[in-house]
Amino acid sequence: MAPTQDTMFRSADMSMVQLYVAREIGREIVNALGELGQIQFRDVYPSFTEARGISADDCGSSTRTLLLFSERLLRRYEDLIMLRGNSMEKAGIPLRKIDFDVDTLAAPSTSEIDELSDRSQSLEERIARLNDSYETLKKREVELTEWRWVLREAGGFFDRAYGNVEDIRASSDNDDAPLLQDVEQHAQGQNGDAERSLTGMNIEFVAGVIPRDRTAAFERILWRTLRGNLYMNQSEIPEPLVDPTNNESINKNVFVIFAHGKELIAKIRKISESLGADLYGVDENLNLRREQIVEVNNRLGDLGSVLQNTKTTLDAELTQIAQSLAAWMVIVKKEKAVYQTLNLFSYDQARKTLIAEAWCPSNSLPLIKSTLHDVNNRAGLSVPSIINEIRTNKTPPTYQKTNRFTEGFQTIINAYGTAKYQEVNPGLPTIVTFPFLFAVMFGDLGHGFLMVCAAAAMIYWEKPLKKVRDELFTMAFYGRYIMLMMGIFSMYTGFIYNDVFSKSLSIFPSAWEWDIPDGWKEGDVLLGKLKGDYRYPIGLDWMWHDTENDLLFSNSFKMKLSILMGWVHMTYSLCLSYINARHFKTPIDIWGVFIPGMIFFQSIFGYLVFAIVYKWCVDWYAIGESPPGLLNMLIYMFLSPGTVEEPLYRGQGPIQVFLVLLAVIQVPILLFLKPFYLRWEHNRARAQGYRGIGETSRVSALDTDDDDSNTLDGRASLASESEGVAMITQDLGGEEEHEEFEFSEVMIHQVIHTIASYLRLWALSLAHQQLSVVLWSMTMAIGLGTTGPLGVFMLVVVFFAWFFLTIAVLVVMEGTSAMLHSLRLHWVEAMSKHFMGDGIPFEPFSFKTMLEEDEAAADIS
Amino acid sequence: MANGWSIIIGLVVIVLACAAGWFLAPKGETQTIWRSSLILSFASCYIMWAITFLAQWHPLIVPRRSGLRTGAAHEN
Repeated sequence: MAPTQDTMFRSADMSMVQLYVAREIGREIVNALGELGQIQFRDVYPSFTEARGISADDCGSSTRTLLLFSERLLRRYEDLIMLRGNSMEKAGIPLRKIDFDVDTLAAPSTSEIDELSDRSQSLEERIARLNDSYETLKKREVELTEWRWVLREAGGFFDRAYGNVEDIRASSDNDDAPLLQDVEQHAQGQNGDAERSLTGMNIEFVAGVIPRDRTAAFERILWRTLRGNLYMNQSEIPEPLVDPTNNESINKNVFVIFAHGKELIAKIRKISESLGADLYGVDENLNLRREQIVEVNNRLGDLGSVLQNTKTTLDAELTQIAQSLAAWMVIVKKEKAVYQTLNLFSYDQARKTLIAEAWCPSNSLPLIKSTLHDVNNRAGLSVPSIINEIRTNKTPPTYQKTNRFTEGFQTIINAYGTAKYQEVNPGLPTIVTFPFLFAVMFGDLGHGFLMVCAAAAMIYWEKPLKKVRDELFTMAFYGRYIMLMMGIFSMYTGFIYNDVFSKSLSIFPSAWEWDIPDGWKEGDVLLGKLKGDYRYPIGLDWMWHDTENDLLFSNSFKMKLSILMGWVHMTYSLCLSYINARHFKTPIDIWGVFIPGMIFFQSIFGYLVFAIVYKWCVDWYAIGESPPGLLNMLIYMFLSPGTVEEPLYRGQGPIQVFLVLLAVIQVPILLFLKPFYLRWEHNRARAQGYRGIGETSRVSALDTDDDDSNTLDGRASLASESEGVAMITQDLGGEEEHEEFEFSEVMIHQVIHTIASYLRLWALSLAHQQLSVVLWSMTMAIGLGTTGPLGVFMLVVVFFAWFFLTIAVLVVMEGTSAMLHSLRLHWVEAMSKHFMGDGIPFEPFSFKTMLEEDEAAADIS
Repeated sequence: MANGWSIIIGLVVIVLACAAGWFLAPKGETQTIWRSSLILSFASCYIMWAITFLAQWHPLIVPRRSGLRTGAAHEN
């Protein structure tokens, strides 16, 4: 095959290839091809989903299970690291991310994968152990802290309780004890020996800690079940306690409940435990309690140091994993992709080879071949890997190679549809037409300059900005080259419109001078007068700026400009359909679509364009005639052909009649020629007996992608042939009607909407210009109008307001709107003229794109 | 200096520029992109300029302005 250079003009030549690879090196081959990213594997068994995977099972079932296992483990690490996130960040353990621009990870060997899987397994065990003990220790610490609080707070409760012994007793006892005894006991209590009094009186207590939000319920329940026979004390623990299992901090209260009798105490214990309180033993005796506190403090100290040790070890371990986790994940993802790809292969038991079908760009064939050869050599295998180009009637996928510059423009087209294989790719002219039509609407030298600056900055700092993950910014960044082109063309059109932030440049001398009549005084109206033959060379004359009728002039100019631009753009697009017809060798598309379409289009819109230009070229005042209105001319051309009220040129009537007739004749040709031709061709083929093979093969190609089925069950297909053919003819009839209907709709659509649609260029460019004039007069004009120190201050304020609004409203908002309108002109008006767009995109098996997509998906989630 | 002939002269210049774009486009993978983009750009810019020039060639209306100061009115 002649190696023609792949260009952006149409899809690269694609080849269907068959790969024969020895089973032993299947994995390595796929790995190498994944790094290459130039080949798209086809599913050899499209209809099976369950009974497949011969190759994968055969190739490395053990590796695969290990792989899935290790992937699970690695995910767990990530979770663990995330869980520990808070402490990790403080400890400064970042989860290292892989930079795909810098690190290209080589394909790992099978043994490396095994090693990785073993290693991750042992690491997981270790981490799990460390984590468990860390959690246990942490729990213990919390318990001790709670206990310490209880001990500390309980002291106060006891003191108060002694004061209220009476109440406690009164509430729980029959009041039959002698008064004196009471007094004695009180006295004793004040001596510091009162503890005994509680036990002596059979009053016992429960001490513990309960979450603060449950205290109300707790109190209520206790009150109800014990019927008020209790004395309860609470105090808040000032610092929140952290639950080690889920890292949440909870506010808790210390409580001490005094009650009378063992049964009640048991009840209280049950209730408090069921409400999630933790009970702690507290001694009634003050001295004992002090000892307890000392002991608890000691234990807390010990625990703290152990905890610190464990934490350091755990953090060290996690740091190590975090360092290499990203790299391992990449290896695992690649490995998984390789096995998924191997699943698409078929396996020849007898010859122990894997067979794959794939699409690849024809120009990449040598590269693929040499890669296969390299892998084979490295493995030292005597059986060669073979790659065979095979002929097929299947439609190849469309592959448009892009680079950084063209990527954005191609995306505009692909968002509408994938080009049919080998049809003209509209992405190529879009590089210029899209930003140019945008610029016709956005034309302003200043605004264009701001846009160029933004785009240039994004291009200059391409590398660092690539990592920014902000949705809006990513979009703008993706279209940075589109923005650059839009900015450049906006500067040009702005120069032509002579608009710089709504002001004008006076680079060249004007073609006009003011005609000053005698007795003129300031404030009177002045009229311009041409200096002679000289005309303003580039762009709009600045003398029009700030005149009373400049809108009148620019209105007519921009309307005609948009009509002319629309005509040029559509004629260009229509011509692409001729190139398509030539390439696909379908002359009917030339005779039935392109030529009549072109004649129709030119006899109406081409004539309008001719009239516009002709009217401009004639000096109407010099020949002493009144210039005709073109709109009326066009209307009367259809309403009453032949009569011309305001002649544009001699012989206009007959010419217009001829053009209208020419256009009308094209309509039936456009509607009927192609469908009738297709029917005739079909009938002729059938009459000549070409019915079986071609048609059934087409049917089977639709049903299954397997090539061999035709030859294998040829007899069976013969039997059902007549049915199949009948179905096809029926289908064709239906399609034809359908097409006729759509076609007429498209024609009406074209006549009414096409040129009118381009009038948006006119509307938007006028609106943009007027808006910037209004903005200037409402901000800068006021600032410049004020004098003195206040003027300086005003100017500063007003300048920033103006600059901010210019960027936000005129550049960003108006720019977006102009972009969308330009998009519509491309998708609807231009691409409808030639674009078929029924292609299948080429999606090569490539590690790079796979990992990038994964990363993007992870960022979004 | 700039009169009706400018359109023709401009066309010649642009055709030459297009030819230069065609032949001087860098060789290699991006040659098609260079050629197409340069020629389309030249053509679009020429059309834009030519339309603007033609629209002002035989103007049907003249600028009208009030509120000019004496100095400004006598410029040019």
